[in-house]
Amino acid sequence: VKLTRKQVLAGAAAGALGATGAYELVDRLAGSSPPRAAAGPLPPEQHVLDGVRTVTDNGVEVVVPPLHHEVVTARLRVDRADLADAGRALEAALADLERRFPPTPAGLGVAVAWGLPYFERFVPAAWRAHAPLDLRAQKDALLVARRFTSDPDSTVLEENDVAVLLRSDHLDHITEAAKSLFDELDLFEVRSIRKGFAGGGFEGGRSLPKQMALAAGVPGAELIPDTAELFLGFTSTQSQGLGPRKIVNFEALGYVDLRSGYFREGTHMHLSHLNEELDTWYQLFDFRQRVDTVFRPGLEVAEGTQTVRQAPADVATRSQVAHGFRSDGTIGHSAAIQIASRLQSDHVADDGKVYRKGTAVPHRADFNTLDNPFFWSAEPQRDGMSDQPSAGVHFVVFNPTSDDFERVRNAMDGVFPGGARIDLRPRDRGQGINSVLQTTHRQNFLVPPRRNRAFPLAELPA
Amino acid sequence: VKVVAAPVVASVCLLLAACGNSAQPAAHASAAAACPAAWQPGWEKLARGIGAPVYCPGWMPNPLDGRIGGEWNGLRLVDRHGGFLVSFIYQETGSGEVHVNFHRWPTTGMPLCRAETSQQKIPCYSEPAGHVRANGIDATLYTVSRDADQWHLSYLWRHGGATYVVSEHVAPPYTFKQVKRNVTRILRSLVLVRPSS
Repeated sequence: VKLTRKQVLAGAAAGALGATGAYELVDRLAGSSPPRAAAGPLPPEQHVLDGVRTVTDNGVEVVVPPLHHEVVTARLRVDRADLADAGRALEAALADLERRFPPTPAGLGVAVAWGLPYFERFVPAAWRAHAPLDLRAQKDALLVARRFTSDPDSTVLEENDVAVLLRSDHLDHITEAAKSLFDELDLFEVRSIRKGFAGGGFEGGRSLPKQMALAAGVPGAELIPDTAELFLGFTSTQSQGLGPRKIVNFEALGYVDLRSGYFREGTHMHLSHLNEELDTWYQLFDFRQRVDTVFRPGLEVAEGTQTVRQAPADVATRSQVAHGFRSDGTIGHSAAIQIASRLQSDHVADDGKVYRKGTAVPHRADFNTLDNPFFWSAEPQRDGMSDQPSAGVHFVVFNPTSDDFERVRNAMDGVFPGGARIDLRPRDRGQGINSVLQTTHRQNFLVPPRRNRAFPLAELPA
Repeated sequence: VKVVAAPVVASVCLLLAACGNSAQPAAHASAAAACPAAWQPGWEKLARGIGAPVYCPGWMPNPLDGRIGGEWNGLRLVDRHGGFLVSFIYQETGSGEVHVNFHRWPTTGMPLCRAETSQQKIPCYSEPAGHVRANGIDATLYTVSRDADQWHLSYLWRHGGATYVVSEHVAPPYTFKQVKRNVTRILRSLVLVRPSS
């Protein structure tokens, strides 16, 4: 299948929410949807997606992500005086979606996340009283996004009021939800629409990223391994590389002072977009070098392996990362970030759950895209919109706080908690995948618990 | 750096099939491989210069030709041990680049290149992606190439105690698929030219 430019392009603003562009192809390429478990009761967390299937690949348990993903960002179109009414309308619409679709990949996962501009402009007094505080960083748990060492100066730091993450195996479920929330409610002024896909290759067939990249004619597409879960060729959703169900909740690890408790069972979400230079990745790095820089130098992996075990016992230490850099001039992406993303000691959560040393914390919800950089933008010039499809990733990740995300992201650049750093130039080849990624946009959001997801704090007295 | 040498600036129309006549030998490529008469003297001179056989292409991708010393010939480097690098390149800003390299190393070991991030020596070619047998050549296609062949798709084979490579840069105006087709067609068109020819 070869896409025409028209299929790749999003439609005009009014129709963009309903338009599917190239992504309609995902349903055709993926065939029937994978079998999914039935839904249980709705969890109090918005960010938890139940009914997710696991498979075993190369002896490693892997979570099968939903096929389709979409993020819509927006500013509010309501006055402060109308917030409570707006909240009721939004909650009614969200509840209606929950009645129509089970909260699983077979149905629809919805997470409504709120940006700092919303809290500071619309509910400033309540925000000051209830904002979660990161005790470890001695900062608010929700911070303004910033650029990192390997980010270009052109990285746009966004100021959206709200972002809605939609996940499903069925594109029509996502389309219906986006229309319901953004077309029919008239509460939001949409700023961007971001679409993408993941997986599809676990049963041995050609994966969605490979098929979509080939269809779009993206440079380097031919060299993506046939069954790769993501464009870069390795599996990112293995169970032991993802945080357990509730670990990113504000209250789970004791990082956060929840003050009133209003945001208990909520979390933090970082949203960014990165371009991926697939031709560079596959033509200048051979498999050995890709393993060295994605995992750690010298890791013994059979040629062609896509799923590499990342259990707690496999987590690298800071000295191992430094030694690898001294001997090979490279750091492994996973090895470096694990210094910040894995628990450094056993932890007993407030609900009595024991998290062992080496347990992963972040919940990744990233997905590949052909957006360049977005499917649709209200500010095409600022956002650098192009009509040429481009391989990339909409990186969605849940961490307990902004600072926790920053620790992990800094480690990716060789800057470790406590200030120790590895002498790498920004986007140095020794950073492996960092050298083929370019971040175009970033923003942090707070994901309230399900009970307070619609215009949080607006119902409280000013 | 994607480009090794850029000695020639040419008209955009040279990339169009109707323009120029540099690819005319392609018309004969489907027949038995033959070194075009206009290109033969240069390859014979190269073979005599290194005292070893070389391979003359019977076909080159538009707009290049295979005439050593011609307008598209970039590098012509030889060493005292019988090795060489001969390149042909077209480059113009906005139009793209067509770049083909021919190598010989006087040993059968995998050529080594310096690693990008350390002083270690690593294979110049990796990620094997298939074989082609033609004209007595049994070549392996590599998708990762280094040094002068960085960004190239490279065919490597052995003959007479030496290692030979022909490669083409993956860059517009040709797609990956077209470059793979091009370099395979070059390989199939190669004719052995002995120093005594």
